[in-house]
Amino acid sequence: MEQYEAWKALLRQGTGIPFWQEFYVKFYQAFLENSRWRQYLGGVGTTLLVTAMALCLGIVLGILVAMVRTAHDQQRPGRKNPILGVLNGICKIYVTVIRGTPMMVQLLIMGLVVFSSSRNFTAIGALTLGINSGAYVAEIIRGGLMALDPGQAEAGRSLGLNYADTMRFIVIPQAFKAILPSLGNEFIILLKDTSLITVIGGKELVYAAQGIYGRTYEQMYPLLGIACIYLVLVIIFSWLLGILERRLRQSDRR
Amino acid sequence: MIDVKHLSKSFGDHLVLKDISEHIYPGEKVVIIGPSGSGKSTFLRSLNLLEVPSSGSICFEGVEITDPKTDIDRVRRQMGMVFQHFNLFPNMTIRRNITLAPVRTGLMKQEQADEAAMQLLRRVGLEAKADAYPNQLSGGQKQRIAIVRALAMNPKVMLFDEPTSALDPEMVGEVLAVMKELAADGMTMVVVTHEMGFAREVGNRILFMDEGQILEQGSPAEVFGNPKNLRLQDFLSKVL
Repeated sequence: MEQYEAWKALLRQGTGIPFWQEFYVKFYQAFLENSRWRQYLGGVGTTLLVTAMALCLGIVLGILVAMVRTAHDQQRPGRKNPILGVLNGICKIYVTVIRGTPMMVQLLIMGLVVFSSSRNFTAIGALTLGINSGAYVAEIIRGGLMALDPGQAEAGRSLGLNYADTMRFIVIPQAFKAILPSLGNEFIILLKDTSLITVIGGKELVYAAQGIYGRTYEQMYPLLGIACIYLVLVIIFSWLLGILERRLRQSDRR
Repeated sequence: MIDVKHLSKSFGDHLVLKDISEHIYPGEKVVIIGPSGSGKSTFLRSLNLLEVPSSGSICFEGVEITDPKTDIDRVRRQMGMVFQHFNLFPNMTIRRNITLAPVRTGLMKQEQADEAAMQLLRRVGLEAKADAYPNQLSGGQKQRIAIVRALAMNPKVMLFDEPTSALDPEMVGEVLAVMKELAADGMTMVVVTHEMGFAREVGNRILFMDEGQILEQGSPAEVFGNPKNLRLQDFLSKVL
């Protein structure tokens, strides 16, 4: 501790000190001084919370939109449902607008225009990210449903199963297995995109790092620190996905 | 049993079926032959509305299935279908492949369906495979399971869409044997096939289709022994 203060003073004066001493000072300053690690920990908490909430919202939205879009496209000719037509139109606009505008702009609009009076940045961030993710998830799911051999659905329908049962027992389980890698990819992007909510004041990892280097004027260590934290989170996430994929591959045994 | 009137079907500008009228009687074994692209599969798939006709009507036991108000699921429960590529559900065990439809449509309770499935599996000699997954089976086994799956719904008619075309030659026999047994039991069958031996042996009536029309039909003896249509003569000279 005293050693730290002594080296820090030397560093301030501009006296050359060995690299490891400088490293120690800056590392201590970035992570340990004033229990700063707590700020990172809080940031990780918010990051994970926002990811989890956005993930749930994104999946729900994605499934709904994908269901409407495929159900609309798979109707028997001459038996079009007008309500489904309207819903399909809304879904198309949703996907187009969300995919057609930058994430950052969407966040700023939601934070500074739509919910300008709210201070709950975490919730706004999660909502915006969820809505954004939903559009991509919808297209991933739709792709999975369409890529499945049509013979599978035909076999289900020819047995007298209705559309909903055919989707539930035959099409969706197989499509889910096929889209899991793309879905995992989307979720990893979502996890990292939570870093953007810092622009509307969300107190996640980047916010923590910025707060710290704003005080210490030393950017490298906090930034490399959070980069490592993101990396570790993504690695854990990928590992969990890998386990899930192996589970689902059971019926492929030969 | 199945009454087809002025059935036409086009994909875009391409007219696949041209004004077909035909009747299939209970207990009949109708075999449809013809070159590729002649519309025979489309015709078969129209019978349970997997293909929706562009015009014309199809009635099954007095119910007009081409009427948009008809509950097509209810009709399909009485018409079994077997596909060229088996279309077993790879995400389920054989047992579940067979029992899913009877249970979900309320035809049987799970235990009843399991029992019926085992009985049917025993009939085709595959009771040992009940808990296997489709990917663990050979093509011939898959197709026999697919037939069993359709039979589990107690259908009144069975539609076969080239059931042996995707099989290795050595596996064709085992599938045809099951189909022959089914025919002997009195099942009404409509079969699209390239197996002329099967057509001759099992068929009551052969339909020869080309370019979306039924060009000639009759008993196997007439069609194979004394073909009148030029294109049928040409076709038979190539396949026999």
